[in-house]
Amino acid sequence: MKVLFLCSPVSPITNVIPLSLVLFVSLVKEAFEDWKRLQNDMTINNSSVDVLQDQRWESIPWKKLQVGDIVRVKQDGFFPADLLLLASTNPDGVCYTETANLDGETNLKIRKALEKTWDYVTPEKASEFKGEIQCEQPNNSLYTFTGNLILQKQTIPIGPNQILLRGCSLRNTEHIVGTVIFTGHETKVMMNAMNVPSKRSTLERKLDKVIATLFGVLLCMCLIGAIGSAVFVDRKYHYLELWINGDSQQFNPSNRFVVLYLALLLLVFSLQLLILVFCFQVFVLSIFTLITLYSPIIPISLYVSIEMIKFIQSTKFINNDLRMYHSETNTPALARTSNLNEELGQVEYIFSDKTGTLTRNLMEFFKCSIGGETYGTGVTEIEMGAARRNGLNIKEKTPSNAAREKGFNFDDARLMHGAWRNEPNPDMCKEFFRCLAICHTVLPEGEESPEKLRYQAASPDEAALVTAAKNFGFFFYRRTPTMIYVRESHVEKMGKVQDVTYEILNVLEFNSTRKRQSVVCRYGDGRLVLYCKGADTVIYERLASGNDELKKVSREQLEQYGEAGLRTLCLAYRNLSPEIYESWNEKYIQAKSSLRDRERKLDEVAELIEKDLTLIGCTAIEDKLQEGVPSCIETLSKAGIKIWVLTGDKLETAINIAYACKLINNDMKQFVISSETDAIREVESRGDQVEIAQFIRETVKNQLRKCHEEAQSIVHGSTGQKLSLLIDGKCLMYALDPNLRSTLLSLSLSCSSVVCCRVSPLQKAQVTRLVRKGANKITLSIGDGANDVGMIQAAHVGVGISGLEGMQAVMASDFAIAQFRFLTDLLLVHGRWSYLRLCKVVSYFFYKNLTFTLTQFWYNFQTGYSGQRFYDDWFQSLYNVIFTALPVIIVGLLDKDVSAALSKKYPQLYKQGINDAFFNWKVVGTLACFSVYQSVVVYNFVMSSSTTGLTSAGKILGLWDISTAAFTCLVITVNLRLLMMCNTITRWHSISVGGSILAWFIFICIYSIVFVNKGTYFTIYVLMSTAYLYLIAILVPIVALLGDFLYQGAQRWFYPYDYQIVQEIHRHEPEPIGAGLLEVANQLTPEEERRYAFALLPREKSKHTGFAFDSPGYESFFATQQGVTAPQKPWDVIRRATMKPKSKSPRSSQH
Amino acid sequence: MDVDGGGMSTDINNININHPLHARSKAIHQFTQQTLPACKPVLTPAWVIGTFFLMGVVFIPVGLISLHASQSVNEIVDRYDIDCVPDTFKSNKIAYIKNASTPKSCHRYLKVDKPMKAPIYIYYQLDNFYQNHRRYVKSRSEDQLLHGLRYNKTSSCEPQAFENGLPIVPCGLVAWSLFNDTYSFSRGTKKLKVERKNIAWKSDRNHKFGTQVYPFNFQNGSFIGGGKLDKTIPLSEQEDLIVWMRTAAFPSFRKLYGRIEEDLEEGDIVVVRLMNNYNTYSFGGTKMLVLSTSSWLGGNNSFLGVAYIFVGSSSILIALIFLLLHVKNPRPYGDTTYLSGNRKDISS
Repeated sequence: MKVLFLCSPVSPITNVIPLSLVLFVSLVKEAFEDWKRLQNDMTINNSSVDVLQDQRWESIPWKKLQVGDIVRVKQDGFFPADLLLLASTNPDGVCYTETANLDGETNLKIRKALEKTWDYVTPEKASEFKGEIQCEQPNNSLYTFTGNLILQKQTIPIGPNQILLRGCSLRNTEHIVGTVIFTGHETKVMMNAMNVPSKRSTLERKLDKVIATLFGVLLCMCLIGAIGSAVFVDRKYHYLELWINGDSQQFNPSNRFVVLYLALLLLVFSLQLLILVFCFQVFVLSIFTLITLYSPIIPISLYVSIEMIKFIQSTKFINNDLRMYHSETNTPALARTSNLNEELGQVEYIFSDKTGTLTRNLMEFFKCSIGGETYGTGVTEIEMGAARRNGLNIKEKTPSNAAREKGFNFDDARLMHGAWRNEPNPDMCKEFFRCLAICHTVLPEGEESPEKLRYQAASPDEAALVTAAKNFGFFFYRRTPTMIYVRESHVEKMGKVQDVTYEILNVLEFNSTRKRQSVVCRYGDGRLVLYCKGADTVIYERLASGNDELKKVSREQLEQYGEAGLRTLCLAYRNLSPEIYESWNEKYIQAKSSLRDRERKLDEVAELIEKDLTLIGCTAIEDKLQEGVPSCIETLSKAGIKIWVLTGDKLETAINIAYACKLINNDMKQFVISSETDAIREVESRGDQVEIAQFIRETVKNQLRKCHEEAQSIVHGSTGQKLSLLIDGKCLMYALDPNLRSTLLSLSLSCSSVVCCRVSPLQKAQVTRLVRKGANKITLSIGDGANDVGMIQAAHVGVGISGLEGMQAVMASDFAIAQFRFLTDLLLVHGRWSYLRLCKVVSYFFYKNLTFTLTQFWYNFQTGYSGQRFYDDWFQSLYNVIFTALPVIIVGLLDKDVSAALSKKYPQLYKQGINDAFFNWKVVGTLACFSVYQSVVVYNFVMSSSTTGLTSAGKILGLWDISTAAFTCLVITVNLRLLMMCNTITRWHSISVGGSILAWFIFICIYSIVFVNKGTYFTIYVLMSTAYLYLIAILVPIVALLGDFLYQGAQRWFYPYDYQIVQEIHRHEPEPIGAGLLEVANQLTPEEERRYAFALLPREKSKHTGFAFDSPGYESFFATQQGVTAPQKPWDVIRRATMKPKSKSPRSSQH
Repeated sequence: MDVDGGGMSTDINNININHPLHARSKAIHQFTQQTLPACKPVLTPAWVIGTFFLMGVVFIPVGLISLHASQSVNEIVDRYDIDCVPDTFKSNKIAYIKNASTPKSCHRYLKVDKPMKAPIYIYYQLDNFYQNHRRYVKSRSEDQLLHGLRYNKTSSCEPQAFENGLPIVPCGLVAWSLFNDTYSFSRGTKKLKVERKNIAWKSDRNHKFGTQVYPFNFQNGSFIGGGKLDKTIPLSEQEDLIVWMRTAAFPSFRKLYGRIEEDLEEGDIVVVRLMNNYNTYSFGGTKMLVLSTSSWLGGNNSFLGVAYIFVGSSSILIALIFLLLHVKNPRPYGDTTYLSGNRKDISS
């Protein structure tokens, strides 16, 4: 150890101070983040909650809450801890909670208190509550809980149904009383807090490789130096007294191997700068034990600089970009990590969810057919897309004048305001509306007036249907466990409004096997009716015979709706006689109370009554495309990005959406691999699982082979036709088999767009991983729901849509945006710029330290390979920290090649990121050449010019004078070189570059007065008294940069980059305003034109019809599969919790 | 280069249109929206050619002036280390130099080719002498030079910190190896006066070497490295030492010995009587005596002038080549056919 210190040419203290400086900066950053976190914690910890004390509710801050306290939580309040629900103001001890913060599901969950504790609502009563709770240890499972409540010596089991989790909020309930079970870090939310799997960007990983190479170069340099040193060390240099060191043999020239070894060590330290600059963490760790103080400075300075730049990029630029701000929902973009900014500039594959991402997940009641008559005149975007495909040019859709609200976009006067009474089938209409108003599981929330009431539903489809009923005059406004209250208009006669109650006898709930939902209700007059809604296939099977005409007409209409991309449901009813019902109900109750196989038995019982139905009609709900999606996708594909849609929807729906989004067009060769073929159906109908599996595997294999061959011939052909692949989940399952995987991969990579439908969340993640690992391309996943979490985490970059399906995708994502179309800004503008900037920063760091170290290296040849430093310790320590630090950060923040609008106007500029044109071995090599050149110029010019006296007084300059002059030249060169790399020069560039050079002069002026006992004492004043300094300080930087200038000029002249051309085209334009290609035209087109265009649409028929209930099924499937997919950072949840009241106000005003 | 800051206020997306922004918040807005006004230099051929021409035009005159300055300096260089060894010792120079009893005196005759104006600087030049060796450079104690014996943490001076158990002042290898050849000059019969004062940098004399520090226990060892010092003169006045202690940057270096304050005429023969004491023979170094006048740019080193002229003329050459290329084969700027997508079509 001592030897090593002796060997070190630099005193440790000079390294400590810059190190602390660098550490201080990162310390400040951390402190700032901690401070914000602390503030968050403070607000949360100090928010108040009512606790029972002396028969009264006392308000105390959350942080004082203890296990066993009895608390009261009011409506819309957040639960401060995990609570056991004792009582609620609702009858039956029921309360509703919103769990969006935990699992992203927006529908309300029902929690029910134990019957024994229902009474403890008032403080007086609650204070009498005495019991003992035994429960499991704190754990992170959100969906399980086991425990017992011992009350009056009676043990009552507690399940998850009685637990209110922290992070959830209370809805539809005036207040509840509960007792605290877990607090603070023991709550389930906090137990779920885990670290996000950290993602490192490709650029950084590449950087490590470059650094490793440089480390090799460094070792070579050390070896050269060491060998040289061993050769040099010789008795003859008597003035060095290399042999008189009695106590040590280290410099005995006869022992050259020892010398070689020591010299090697010595050189390692003398060239420590290089080590420091380029060594990566592993090396730092090993060397750290040896020289505790030296090494980390510069790697920290490089990594700290990058980190700082990225941090500011994400917090200041991405989070604040107005172009990515969605004013309707008041959501800005959010970079949840600052690691991946530049990764956004290299994305080649985008995996997108459909529902909620490409589409709005805003289900709107769009059309319906009642008794064979179709109503609703709207044209969907998909139909318009189809029209465009057929050459019709239709302008963007106009905002309709008809009654519109969330979930209702229906435009047909024949059904509105009681006009349906004049339609051919008024009774059918009445049944239709009643079915909509009664057959559902929606909860009304808020004041009981049509304007203010909100519907809470498990799926937006349901809410849309009930909203439709409301608009047709059947206003469902209240639900009790047994009754539904509907305010019916125009039923008896026009304009009459009456409140009607229906007794709900049974609810046969929706699930994915049944694909339908029924309600048995009793009218006020005793009439018993079963209302049923469900997928067309399921309903048609259960229709009573007869009335074939209606069935046929309705079927045709269903197919038309399907073609238009609408999600359809059939409605039916059945009148029940009391006898039939009673006998059925007995079976039902039996099934319901059975302990084993309850679900299956309930399904079987439901089959018994859901038959002989009468078809009323069908509904069509539009799953609207998000604003600007088609043009966004067009722009992205021009940028060379390939977009894959992974959706749970049906093949036809997916194809339609893909057409509408311009992912697929008619010029493309489409490969369809579907399991919905007749052959497969036939095998499936035989029911032998093994046979089915084998058959499908073979089919998929053959199809894949065939498609692959065909694709290869097209790719190698000259037609340039684009390819697209459509595959469904079942086939995908077999195609992802290890044997077929490579075929699938190469087929799909040759396609410009791929649509996978009917895929499970797991498959989404698998496909993403396939491309990420198999093709080694940079992938981005974008989704909004819990079912996208897997794929978001699997991709290099995960983007969450902060939309309607809750926060789960956002919690798992790296970036959150409000709209799909903001992806263009995120990728083409921020991603590209970040990539460009970081490439510049990294290569500049690489360049400046290499240049610096090389001058040192050249000098070593002149010092007998002794490892004498050329520069003063302080110069070399502060070189990275002060003299060259700020400008590069400014470039990392402010440099941009072309403006944001041009970035989007010329999406092909993005390709340079995909090809990694700005940071590859060629670039590094070129830089290294210039580094060598510049260091040679700096070193040799200074050396050659300083051999004689340099003043008229004939005095000679010493080592430190010359090194100061060389360092001056170097600082100027390196700083000016930065300016040459910039595409734009703001005044901050000039200030920082000028400031850095000035900082050097100020530093040296002070430094060379203060330290009398340094070699550098007074050097700068000596130098400044000579003409030499000025001549050399002008000459050297210019000669050194001449090479770069020549190279840059020639490069732009003969091999211009795309961005340079674009710069030239728009050279004299001021920064354009507006969004270029992406601007969504808001021109109003005449209604007639639209109608006309609609009338011209070809009436194709689709065998398949969209079905509305598919996505929630996947959702809940995923939630149970994952179990523990809670938000990753506790404070995120809490922050949302604290932000909620603010963000809510605009939303409530919307409705 | 055009500065586009004009359109900024309209870019604030009409959101804040009713609230006139303060300059500060406007700057912050421009920063976060990344629309800071900036100039966008585009390296067009005109710029490239223009810059090179300009550089040529500026550099060549500067180079000519510098070159003229260094050419005006007259320099006489005489290597004497070999010739000053008596013939009997030619085969074993080391024995000669190490033997204290051999006569070290030597005469050199320098012919003045061009008239030299006073002051004429006398330098000695050593080659292959690694005054910049790491071990050598650090073997000194700045504090001891300033404070003398009061300062005793002289471990950096090893292996020349103590001798016979007593501290050495000035300690260290640098001082120990002090150059000790001496020169005296005469023209004809008349002795030339050599001014030996004021040859070191003023800052060194006044601040780095103590006025109350006297040599102590210096060169008392068995192994003598170089010159001895007068124990009665404080270090701040030992200018030879001060000059020597300002270590040179490169293994070949000159150091100022003194000044001749008389003009030398063309054809004059200067007789140098020197004491060849210093041992450069053991490491194969050379010793030279240099007489040189001086200009505003210092000594006779034409490197700067030549470099300026070379860079200037090659700039003009490059400018001409570029101009020729530009005229013959212009690339229309902002031509979309050069975009990579389109370029591929051209090449295929």
